[in-house]
Amino acid sequence: MKKIYILISIISFNIEATNFEPYESTYKPLPYSNTIFKNANIYDGDGNEFLETDIIIQNGKIIAIGKDLPGANTLTRVDATGKWITPGIIDIHSHMGVYPAPSVKTSSDGNEATSPVTAEVWAEHSIWTQDPQFALALKGGVTTFHVLPGSANLIGGRGVTAKNLQRNTINSMKFPDAPHSLKMACGENPKRVYGNRGQTPSTRMGNIAGYRKSWIKAEGYLSKLDEYEAKSDEAKELSYKPTRDLELETLAGVLRGDILVHNHCYRADEMAMMIDVAKEFDYKITAFHHAVEAYKIADLLAENNICAALWADWWGFKHEAYDMVQANVAIVDQARNGTGCAIVHSDDEIGIQHLNVEASKALSAGIKAGFNISKARAMKWITSNPAKAAGIYKQTGSLKVGKNADVVVWSKNPFSIYALAEKVYIDGALAFDKATGFEPNSDFDIGIINPSKKRIEE
Amino acid sequence: MIKYKILIALSFILFNSSYLEAERIVIKNATIYDGIDDSSYNGHILIENGLIKKLSKSSAIQGDIVIDVEGKIVTPGLIAPDTEIGIVEIGALSVTRDDESNIYDVGFSIHSAFNPNSTLIPWNRSNGITSAITLPRNTSSPIGGLGSFFLLDSKMNINSNADMVLIGRLGASGSSSRAETLSLMDDILSFGSSLNKKDIGSDLTIDELIESSSIASYLDLKTRDVKTLFRLFDENLPLIIKSHRASDILNLISLKKKYDLNLIIMGAQEASLVIDDIAKNDVPLIINPINNIPNSFDELASNIKLAQRLEKAGITMMFNVSRDHNYHLIRQGAGVAVANGLSYGSAIKALTSNVAKVFNIENRGSIQVGNYADIVVWEDDPLEPSSMPERVFINGVETDLTTRSTRLRDRYTKDLDKPNTYRN
Repeated sequence: MKKIYILISIISFNIEATNFEPYESTYKPLPYSNTIFKNANIYDGDGNEFLETDIIIQNGKIIAIGKDLPGANTLTRVDATGKWITPGIIDIHSHMGVYPAPSVKTSSDGNEATSPVTAEVWAEHSIWTQDPQFALALKGGVTTFHVLPGSANLIGGRGVTAKNLQRNTINSMKFPDAPHSLKMACGENPKRVYGNRGQTPSTRMGNIAGYRKSWIKAEGYLSKLDEYEAKSDEAKELSYKPTRDLELETLAGVLRGDILVHNHCYRADEMAMMIDVAKEFDYKITAFHHAVEAYKIADLLAENNICAALWADWWGFKHEAYDMVQANVAIVDQARNGTGCAIVHSDDEIGIQHLNVEASKALSAGIKAGFNISKARAMKWITSNPAKAAGIYKQTGSLKVGKNADVVVWSKNPFSIYALAEKVYIDGALAFDKATGFEPNSDFDIGIINPSKKRIEE
Repeated sequence: MIKYKILIALSFILFNSSYLEAERIVIKNATIYDGIDDSSYNGHILIENGLIKKLSKSSAIQGDIVIDVEGKIVTPGLIAPDTEIGIVEIGALSVTRDDESNIYDVGFSIHSAFNPNSTLIPWNRSNGITSAITLPRNTSSPIGGLGSFFLLDSKMNINSNADMVLIGRLGASGSSSRAETLSLMDDILSFGSSLNKKDIGSDLTIDELIESSSIASYLDLKTRDVKTLFRLFDENLPLIIKSHRASDILNLISLKKKYDLNLIIMGAQEASLVIDDIAKNDVPLIINPINNIPNSFDELASNIKLAQRLEKAGITMMFNVSRDHNYHLIRQGAGVAVANGLSYGSAIKALTSNVAKVFNIENRGSIQVGNYADIVVWEDDPLEPSSMPERVFINGVETDLTTRSTRLRDRYTKDLDKPNTYRN
């Protein structure tokens, strides 16, 4: 009897169902931990704060938020008195898996820097699923992350959104129904990488020409596709389907609105130009990333409904990152009567573990700049706003009844440096529990220093 | 050794005369973390002639200027032990970098390249860093380059302690074995320890020495390099070796014992695996307490608990950051260390007095009578990165907390009806 049970569990954890389309998400949550959190202080991720309030999660979803909720006996009770609960943190700019740790050539797979336009590559095809960084980010409260290719290329390829639940295949980590993204990059990086090889682009004008040429090709491809798809079934039989082109398929996906553009761009003048390029070819830029000068054009971003994904304080490592102001996030957030979309991102394996503190720095700078921004609103910068930019806000990014139960219980107010994530739930399943030491360890972490120990022994 | 220290102290007095005109400033009602004691006390500080003249716990002190800080936390100015402040303005722009030499090796000094007008100085100062050690990029030699200590007071008359530390590195290189690096280091040290005052008396004798030493001629050492090696032993100069792997740390401890080095290990991500050896041999460490990434095969044991473990073992620690420019983020690192078990008092010491002690920076790093008044008044808890300095004193002079960054912020949040170029 016992043997049979073990056999079943091996099958369910290691063999994937076969009725999935290629590259489709095969994600399955861990066993649900149906739970009532009693008496928690809550930032809901949509800008609200609730004190001494209960939350019930069941079958992977948030089913109730309110004072003194009656919890069924079947629910696990978590006394959250004095603690804070937030939605799972979402990092909109991560290179986990494509630039894993250790940082070595053999798994440094984030930049296909062999041609300035590589729209055909997909970040998910580079992800090393044993990256030990996933588990570290989970302990920082990160339940979802968006992995992009690097910024060497004008058009670097497709990004992917994943659940922070480490598995042996990327398909089983992919966020179900999350759209693909497209990484584009402005400025110094592409012109340096290709300019140094005596290739185009070697200037910023070369960069812009490069994007435009690609979109012209994409338009041609898309019209051929549209033409073919508009044909009747009989007419389709009499004609050839346009030959698939991986590069142009991705770009056409953007023009059709299925793929979201995430554009690495630091300088204000370049972001303004990229908005023109997007208008010329009728596509939407979802977010500018890094955007150190976003504060200079915060209104323009708000008017065009473009998010800016930002660091709290990085600067000076490149010329285009020289004009840093710490209130950047707040200025973007407050643009056009608070209609701006600000995101605090990491782009960093350490930063991703402390996005709450990064948001705290940005908030403090905003308040010093004279803005009246609440902590509850600032929580949006690392939860609902990145969820919107990743196209997964319907499923996650805030604590709303019916949404996925991606939940973090913090020891203290998460805007404090001393706050630690104590429990992290992904889809209503406990994925990390500090008190019991329940945490994932990648295959990399096992027996690598001492054969009988884990890499990190507390 | 003692002579050298007096010289440093003298040079500070000679080069920094501005505070002589300063008035008697009293910082009243402060919660003082003095950088020595683990706990704080409530008191008043009298600053006169740039120095901390008097500390009082009970009675108020009279002064020309009395600043009531209403119980706010006051600490010594923070000292960043591992920076490129003053020698790198923009990381990826080589014309703004002065941290490398292709000619000099051991004795490459960056002191004369220091730019007191660098934007990194007001930026880090406004975040609580009042002084810093600036280190060059390690030259091709395993012991390669001299660092200097600088006050971040933005004066053209640079207030510094020149060439007061040597740097080196040991670990994976990707091209040749770490055993080769270690042997080279040993050979260089062996050559250095054989030097005596007479040898380095003239450049001519130094040239002869280089010629007769296979290692010195192989490395193509110059007179400056040899003089620096002599200083390493003669003055027992601090030697920072950047290294991570546990086995490398043990090898460095062997070298320390062999040559009686004033060794400091930087990085030390695997220190916890050899923590007793480090403690027993009294090796101070510069660690990045927020770095728990196994970023190389030398750093597999990286752990967020490192600072706490070092404290338990009684090891002297200081903090650095993994990225350039924001050296003040040692505060954030210290806060993370405290969140993960380090005591608050030890965190403050790691940011202040430990650096002064390890690098023989006289009369700084703690709030004590007779010390230079490098003092920061904090809005709130200095280990919360959201809390900023309210006032920063260097040598008893209150400094301007305006930065290029705050100027740009104000330009884009005020007076918006004018075009940006016509704003302030």
